[in-house]
Amino acid sequence: MKPTNDRRDFLKAMALGSAAVAGAAAGVLAAPGREAGVIGVPAARAQDRYKMAFIQWQPHTVPAAWSKGIEEVLKPQQVIDYELLDGQNKVEVQVSLMDTLVSQGASVIFLQPIDSVALAPSIAKAKRSGVSVITLNIDATEPHAAHVEMNHYYGAMDIAKAMGDAMGGKGKVAILNAPPGIIIRDQRTNGFVEGMKAHHPGIEIVADQVADWDRKKAQDVLNTILAAHPDLGGAYGVNDSMALGAVDVAKEKGLLGKFVVFGNDGETAALESIEAGELTGTQYTDVYQQGRLAAAAATVLATGAVNASAFGQQSRLLMPYLIATKDNVGTIQASQRW
Amino acid sequence: MKIRFSSAALLLFFAVTLAFFSVSAPRFATASTVENLMSGYAFVAILAMGQAWPILVRGIDLSIGAIVGLVGMIVFDLSLIFSVPGYVILPLALLAGALAGALNGVLIVYLHLQPFIATLATLAAYRGLTYSISGRQLVPGLTTTPIRDPWITGIETYFDLGGSIGLSRLINMPWFPLSFFIMLAVFALLQVLLLATRFGRDTCATGGNAEAARLAGIRVGAVTIAAYAISGICAAIAALIMVARFTTATEALGSGAELTAIAAAVIGGVSLAGGVGSMFGPAIGAFLLGAILIGLTLQGVPQFVQQIITGVILLAAVGYDRLLVLRRQRKLETAATGAGR
Amino acid sequence: MNADAPVLRGVGLGKTYGNLAALADADFTVRPGEVRALIGSNGAGKSTLIKILTGAVLPTRGTVEIEGQAAPLGDPLGMIRRGVACIYQHSNLAPAMSVLDNIYLGRQPTRALGIVDTGRQRREALDLLARHDIDIDLDRPVGSLPTVKQKEVEILKALALDARVILMDEPTGWLAAADVARLHATVRALKARGVGIVYISHVLDEIFAVCDTVTIMRDGRIVAESDVAAIDRPTVVRLMVGDKLAGEASGAALQQRHPRGTGVVRMSARDLGKRGVFGGVSFDLHAGEIFCLTGLIGSKRTELVRTLFGSDRFDTGTLEIDGRPADIRSPQSGMAHGIGFVPEDRHREGLMLDMNVTENLAMATLDRHRRGPLLSRGSMARAGRQAIDELSVRPPDGGKLVRLLSGGNQQKVLVGKWLGRNPRILILDEPTVGVDVGAKAEIYAILRRARGEGAAILVVSSDLEEVMTVADRIGVMVSGRLVATHDAGAVTQEQIVREIGGGTA
Repeated sequence: MKPTNDRRDFLKAMALGSAAVAGAAAGVLAAPGREAGVIGVPAARAQDRYKMAFIQWQPHTVPAAWSKGIEEVLKPQQVIDYELLDGQNKVEVQVSLMDTLVSQGASVIFLQPIDSVALAPSIAKAKRSGVSVITLNIDATEPHAAHVEMNHYYGAMDIAKAMGDAMGGKGKVAILNAPPGIIIRDQRTNGFVEGMKAHHPGIEIVADQVADWDRKKAQDVLNTILAAHPDLGGAYGVNDSMALGAVDVAKEKGLLGKFVVFGNDGETAALESIEAGELTGTQYTDVYQQGRLAAAAATVLATGAVNASAFGQQSRLLMPYLIATKDNVGTIQASQRW
Repeated sequence: MKIRFSSAALLLFFAVTLAFFSVSAPRFATASTVENLMSGYAFVAILAMGQAWPILVRGIDLSIGAIVGLVGMIVFDLSLIFSVPGYVILPLALLAGALAGALNGVLIVYLHLQPFIATLATLAAYRGLTYSISGRQLVPGLTTTPIRDPWITGIETYFDLGGSIGLSRLINMPWFPLSFFIMLAVFALLQVLLLATRFGRDTCATGGNAEAARLAGIRVGAVTIAAYAISGICAAIAALIMVARFTTATEALGSGAELTAIAAAVIGGVSLAGGVGSMFGPAIGAFLLGAILIGLTLQGVPQFVQQIITGVILLAAVGYDRLLVLRRQRKLETAATGAGR
Repeated sequence: MNADAPVLRGVGLGKTYGNLAALADADFTVRPGEVRALIGSNGAGKSTLIKILTGAVLPTRGTVEIEGQAAPLGDPLGMIRRGVACIYQHSNLAPAMSVLDNIYLGRQPTRALGIVDTGRQRREALDLLARHDIDIDLDRPVGSLPTVKQKEVEILKALALDARVILMDEPTGWLAAADVARLHATVRALKARGVGIVYISHVLDEIFAVCDTVTIMRDGRIVAESDVAAIDRPTVVRLMVGDKLAGEASGAALQQRHPRGTGVVRMSARDLGKRGVFGGVSFDLHAGEIFCLTGLIGSKRTELVRTLFGSDRFDTGTLEIDGRPADIRSPQSGMAHGIGFVPEDRHREGLMLDMNVTENLAMATLDRHRRGPLLSRGSMARAGRQAIDELSVRPPDGGKLVRLLSGGNQQKVLVGKWLGRNPRILILDEPTVGVDVGAKAEIYAILRRARGEGAAILVVSSDLEEVMTVADRIGVMVSGRLVATHDAGAVTQEQIVREIGGGTA
C-alpha cells in the first residue's frame, strides 16, 4: 500500500502543477545527457535509449493532439525515441502492435485501447516484460501504470447542468451518441443522464441515437429526431463533431439561438463555433496537456525513478476541464487550442 | 510440378525476408518476435487456408471477416450471458461458422449469384447480425467483463517446448502458442483433404473446369457449398483463437480480415483462375505478410508505407499468377504448332 | 451378345423449348464396333440429340435403351455408369490437373475416409495405356499438352469408364492434318474392340475416311440413314442443306475465277518478316480478287495477316498500299488504310456476343450514324435491316442478341460488320470454321459479291475444299514462309497438298 500511495502522490503532484511538468521531466533527464553515455538515474534498467510509442485507436483530432503534447515533452529528451502507431480501428492490430513493441523492448507504451477487455491480456504481458503502459481516456480492465482521462462522467454531468440552465430548466433534449460497446460512451451518457436527473428533473431526454462520432451522420440523425419531436429544445453531441452536425441542422432550420447544442472534448472548431454564437457550449479539456502529463509520467517510469512493477494498483489521473460557453471561451488561449 | 516449384520459390522468398529483417531490423531475430509471429498470425494463416477453398472453386469469400465477428459474438453471448460451458460452446461455434459459410455457397449455387456479390451481401448481413446480437449492448456491464471459461481461454496457452527438450539451454527458444499447433492441425487436415481425397480432387476439377466436372458426374453444387463451408469453419476457428487471445469479442472483430486472407492465399499461389493451389502456400503467405509487417514496424517504417508495400507484394503475386496462366496458354499454342509441323 | 444388337438406342426422342421443337421423333441406334457419323447443319438438332444421349438434357418424349435396358433420362452420372461417354467439342478437362487426375475425374478409386487410392489409380491407368497403345506422361498437367494429346486424354477418360459407346463431337475441330490421322487411327482401334462410336463432324472428308454409317439431320429431324459406302458426297450435302441451298453450293463450285482481279495492285508485300515467326514473305494482292493463304495450323498464316492489319508488327520488309508505303502500327491505322479484318476466333475477338445484331453490324461504322455527338438509332436500324437482308442472316431480326445466333449466322454478322465499311482490302482468317455447309455457301456468295464491287480479299483457310472453291489465287505457307502461289484454275488439290506437306521432313 505504501509504495502505491507514494506513486499516486507523486503523479498527482505533477498533475496539479502542469507548468512544472515539462521542467521536472527535463530535470530528471538532464542528468544522463550530461554524463555522456552513463544513465545517471538509478541504473536498474541501464540502456542507451528509451523507446516509447503511442498506439492510437484511429486517426482523429483527439489522439493527434495527445501525440503532439507527448512529443513536446519527449522530443527535447534526446535519449527517447517516440513514434505514433495506428490501431486502424482493429483490436487485433492494437494487440499485434503491443506485442511488437514489447519484444522491441519499449519502456513505455501509451495506449488508447479500442476495448477495455481485449487489450487487457496484452497489458498484462507488457507488465510481465517490464513495460509500463499508460492508457489515455479509455481504461483497461487490467491494472497498469497509469490512466489519464478527460473527466467523462463528471464532465457530462456538468454539461447537463449547463444545458439545463440554458434551456430554463424545461424542455426536450436528444443525445447524439457514439456506437455502443465503448466505455467512454457509457460514461458520458450516464453522466449526462444522471446530471439531468439531479439538476434539471424538468428536462426530458426524448431520444438517444447513434451517429457514429460523425458530423454528417449527426445531421441526418437529428433531422429524423426533429421530425418526430418538432418541439425539441436541444441536443447533446457526445463528441464535438456530432454537436457541430447539430449546429448545421439548427442553422439550416433557422433555429440558431433558440436551439441549445452542447458538445464534448473542446476541439478548436467547437470553440470557434461557440465564439461565433452557434454552438452553446462544450466540455473543454486541454488535450495537449493531457498528452504532456502522460509523457511526463512516462519519463519518470522509464528512467527508473519509479519501477513499473511497484504498481499494485494503477493511478488514475482525471484531467481538469472547463465547461466552455460564450462567456468564458475567451479565457482559453490560442496555445491551448487543439 | 508447378505447384511444387512455386512453393519452393515462396519458401525461399520467406527465408530471404526473414534474413533481411534479421540483419536490418533491430530485435527482429529474437525468440519473442518469433513468438509474436506465431501467436499473431496463426489465425490469419487459418483464415487464408480457409479462403483458399472458395478461390479453388473459382470464387471468393468476402464474408469471412464478418463470420469471425459473428462467431466471436456468439461465443461471447453464450459464455457471458447464458453461462454455457466452454466444451459446448466450441462445437457450436464451429457449427455456426460452417452454416454461415454454407449459406454463402447456397446463395451462389442455387441463386446463381456471383461469389463476389453474394459474399459482399452476407458480409454486411453477418456484421449487422453481430451488432444486433451483441451482448455488450444488450447487457450493461459485459463490456468490461472478460471471458474466463478455461475451455476458451485455454486456447491462448503457450508451451515452452525449448525448455522441455532442453534446447533452451543453448539458445533462447520462443514459447509456442497453442494456436500455432491448431494452425498446424488445420493445415494437415486440409492438405490431406485437398490432395489425397476424392473431394479434394473434385474441388480442383470444379474450379479448373466446372463444365467438365459436371459432365464427369461430380456434384459441382455440393462441392461448391462445401468449399464455402470450409471457409466458414476456418473463420470460426480463427474467431475462437481471437476471442481467447482478447478474452472478449467486439462487434468489429475480424473486420477487414478477408482482405488479408485473400492476399495471403494469392501470395501463397492459389490461382484466382481456380483449380490450382495448396494449403502450404496460404499458410506461408500469411506468415510472410506477418513477418513483413512486424519487421517494418521494428524498422520504424510508417504504417501507411507498410500498407503500400503490402499492396505491391499482392500486386506482384497476382501478376505472377496471371503470368503463369498466360504461359500455360502460350505453351498450349506452341505445342499445337509443334504438332502441326 | 448378338453383334447386331444395338448397344445404344434412342426411340422417338423429342425435345421442345417453348414452342420450338429442337428435336422431333428421332430414332437413333449405334451397334458395337460401328462408327456412325452424325451430320447436319448447325441447328439441325445434333447437339440436342447428343445431350439427351449423355443425360445432360431431359427429353420431352421418347426413351433411351442401353443394351436393351431402359436407361434413366437426364442423369449424366447414370449414363456414364452405364458406359456412355462423350468427348465434347470444347475441351472438358481441368487444365491445371494432371493427366492421371483428369482420366479419373470425379471417380477416383478411394479407400476409407474418401482418401484417393493413388496406387490403384496409377496401376489402372498404366494398364489402360498399355492396352490401347497410347503413350502419355500421366503426371503432366493437361494444360501443358498439345491439343491432340488432350483429345487422347479425353478418349482415355472414356475408356477408363469401360465405355461401350463414345460420342465424339467434332473431335478434330482444331487439329492439324497429321493429328487428324492419328486420331482416326485411335477411332479404328476402338472400333476393333467393339466400342460403338458416334462421330459428329462438319468435314465430309473425315466422314468418308473413318465412318461406317451416317445419320443426317435437318431442322430437328433425322432425314436419312445410310451406309457410308452406299452414298456419295453430293447426296450428303443435298440431304443436309435441302435442295435449294445444295443447288447454290454446287453452282458456286462452277463460278468464274478472277486471278489478279482488275489487275490493280492494292497491297504489295515485299520480304516481310517477324523474328522467329515468319520471314521473306512477298506477294501482291489485287483489287477484285480472292487470294487464299493455306497451310497447316502453325504455319504462321494467322500471324502474318495479323501484322498486315496492324494487330502485330513486322520487323523487316516493306508493305505498300495503292503504291504508297504504308506504316500500319495499330488496328486503327489498318482501318484508316481501308483494311477490314475478320479474326479466326469470332467469340473472343470479333463480336460483342451480348449486343444485338444491329449494334454489332454498326460497330465498325459508327461514324456514319453520328448526328452531332449522338448516335442515330434509326440510321443504325435502317443500315442493319439492309445488311441483314443482303447477308441473309437468320432469323432476320436486328434486335436478336448475337450470342443466340448459330455459328454460321454469327459469322455472317461479323463479315457484314466489316463489309459495311466498304473496305478496300478485306482479310478473313478461317471464315467458315464451325460453320455449316449452307452458311458456308452464303458466306462465299457474300465474298464474291464484295469482290465484284472491287474489294481485294485475302482469306486464310485450312480447308482445302474451301480454298479450291473460293480462291482466285492460292498461296501456300509452310513454317512461316510463302513457298508457292498459283492461279486457282491452274493447280490441282493434290499438288497443293504436296506443297503443304513439303515442309515436313
